[in-house]
Amino acid sequence: MAAGRGWLAAAALGLALGGCAFLTSTTPSEPGAGPAPGPAPVARDPLAARHRQQAEALQRDGQLRRAAEEWKIALAIAPADAQARESLRALRARIDQAVAEHLDEGRKALARGVHVEARRKFLAALALDPSNRAAFDALQSDTREVEFIAHTVRAGDTLSALAQRYYGDRSRGEVIWETNQLPPNPRLAPGTTLKIPEIPGVPFVHPEARRPAPVVAAIPTPDVPRPGPTPAPATPPTKEEFTSEINPLLVEAREALERSDYPDAIETVDKFLSGKPGDREGLTLKKQALYGQAKSQMDARQYPESIQSLTQLARLQPDYEDAPSLLRQARTRIIEQHYTQGVRFYREEKLKEAIAEWRVVLEMDPGNANARRNIDQAERLLRGLEQRMKK
Amino acid sequence: MTTRRVRGSGLLMSAAALWLAACATASAPGPGPAPAAAPARPQPRPAAYQSEDFIVTFAQPGDTPETLAERYLGGADKGWMIEDYTGLRAFAPGQEVVIPRRPWNPAGVTPGGYQIVPILTYHNLGERARGRLVLAAPSFREQMRYLKTNGYRVVSLADFVEFARLDRQLPQRAVVLTFDDGYRAFKDHAYPVLKELGFTATLFIYTDWVGAGRGALSWADLRELAAAGMDIQAHSKTHGDLRRAQGETEAQYARRMQVELEQPQEIFNRHLGRRRPILAYPYGRWEEGLLPKLKEYGYVAAFSVRRQGNASFVRPLAGHRSQIYSEMTLDDFAKNLNVFQEENLR
Repeated sequence: MAAGRGWLAAAALGLALGGCAFLTSTTPSEPGAGPAPGPAPVARDPLAARHRQQAEALQRDGQLRRAAEEWKIALAIAPADAQARESLRALRARIDQAVAEHLDEGRKALARGVHVEARRKFLAALALDPSNRAAFDALQSDTREVEFIAHTVRAGDTLSALAQRYYGDRSRGEVIWETNQLPPNPRLAPGTTLKIPEIPGVPFVHPEARRPAPVVAAIPTPDVPRPGPTPAPATPPTKEEFTSEINPLLVEAREALERSDYPDAIETVDKFLSGKPGDREGLTLKKQALYGQAKSQMDARQYPESIQSLTQLARLQPDYEDAPSLLRQARTRIIEQHYTQGVRFYREEKLKEAIAEWRVVLEMDPGNANARRNIDQAERLLRGLEQRMKK
Repeated sequence: MTTRRVRGSGLLMSAAALWLAACATASAPGPGPAPAAAPARPQPRPAAYQSEDFIVTFAQPGDTPETLAERYLGGADKGWMIEDYTGLRAFAPGQEVVIPRRPWNPAGVTPGGYQIVPILTYHNLGERARGRLVLAAPSFREQMRYLKTNGYRVVSLADFVEFARLDRQLPQRAVVLTFDDGYRAFKDHAYPVLKELGFTATLFIYTDWVGAGRGALSWADLRELAAAGMDIQAHSKTHGDLRRAQGETEAQYARRMQVELEQPQEIFNRHLGRRRPILAYPYGRWEEGLLPKLKEYGYVAAFSVRRQGNASFVRPLAGHRSQIYSEMTLDDFAKNLNVFQEENLR
């Protein structure tokens, strides 16, 4: 009895192993039927049959790769299905043949320099065989061109508006900017031609966009109403920013400029310029900062400081905006300041101090007759006073 | 199915229980619906059929791509393979599930078009938005949640580089995150969100900036972030335009590129250890003449800021990234997440 039990237990364990082996084997036969379960009557397996049918349908529809996968799935369920195996083999041969043809046509197109066609052929090869290294390499290394639309610029065109029109996304103006190698913040000259490239994943908005641009003015764009909760206000075209990525020190300087912290802006941009002397963007920013600083100093009646800023600015660009006139104004204000200070001292009978102030006026403005007259008068008075003191 | 044989034997019962337990992780005697055209003699259905390419199994109650991947593909992180192959996120109990065991489409090309991978570029973050490149932290959080809830899968840039060598299939909705320059705000505002959502990112650092700028990360920060799984890569040494300048001689250019391309790697080696060099072009600017220099210093990939996604067959040294600006609405952000180019390739 005990021996019988032991035998039974062993059988159960064997069964257990067999059970686990399902994972790596075929359909099991009846449990415990024998030590080596033979292949099941797979042809009648409805699960495999479904995949076989799918494979055939896909094959008829020309979806060869998906069909091959379905054959493989059917064979995973019913590995002994010789008919499926043969179908898969034949299909693979057909796929290999088609891939070879696409590759061949692609290479020929490349040789003719027709990159658009070559690209399509190599892609078609990969669609059939997505691990085909020859097609992949040819596509990656040898095939260059993307399709684009030629757009003739009309008055009022901006990159953002063109991007909105062709892609339904204003921010793609950057791609048009880069494709056409435009300068930062470009002004589009009417009559020039821009390439509007095909952007993978971003379908052209208008089907007619593939035709030459229509005669109707492109702006404003009436299409693509945006029901978003916070519709962005249409940015005025002049404010287009196409400066690509930027240096963080420049960003810090620009931010300081935006919050009117001119000393900080100047210090930061100087740090940037020490690493890149003569950088145009840096210099532009520095001029903006010096100019802003000079103006704010004028407003605060800090005329000497303002003159300092303006003098620095003049060294970078003598005719910057209205800087020359600002400089004249600042000088005039300083002269006025010294002049009135002189008058104030004079009234307080501080003649020497008054004369000193007017001398400064004369230094800055040698032709200032009032100052000269006042000095003469003050000196006369001073002499009179001194003589009286001696008596 | 074994009850008839083992009835009456406690020992055998426990052996059977042991078997069930042993197999429970690998297979499931699922109570799936009987096949429509059942054979006359009912056959037990195995938990799974398996070949070297596919596993065909049946979902258990509560199964997701992740639980099935855990059971059959050796890790929940492979859940995307099941999701992408079946096109399903959830399964009815007993439902047949086909699980691919190997990459089935490394190039991401199908007769209906091809996969493209968006690589997003961020710069600075702050409590509130400032200028174009300082994104408000709440907006960033909102964008990352958007990725999560919409089924995007954030993959590493290194994985993308393998994809661009035909060496790795990526999830259909793969997205890469990158952060330029190395702002301290990354640590304060971005990293906590990434960590919470299980996302990874690449930081493109320009080495002169580290520890120098007021808002810059330090080497200690970078070591910490690298240890936490963030990828640190080069954005040149001085953030200079890497194109050859007018009037620059061959020798001058070679020297300048040595500084801009090699020195960051030497500095990384010293502070963070070796890496497979990847570059973000300063200002996004590059030209053909620069590419041999990149190869000379071992760079395997480099990226501009051209606003478009990347097919697998993009030239690895001419990759694209899309900059996310602070003024973008969630709608604008989502426009940068296209993952497929439709094109009839039959």
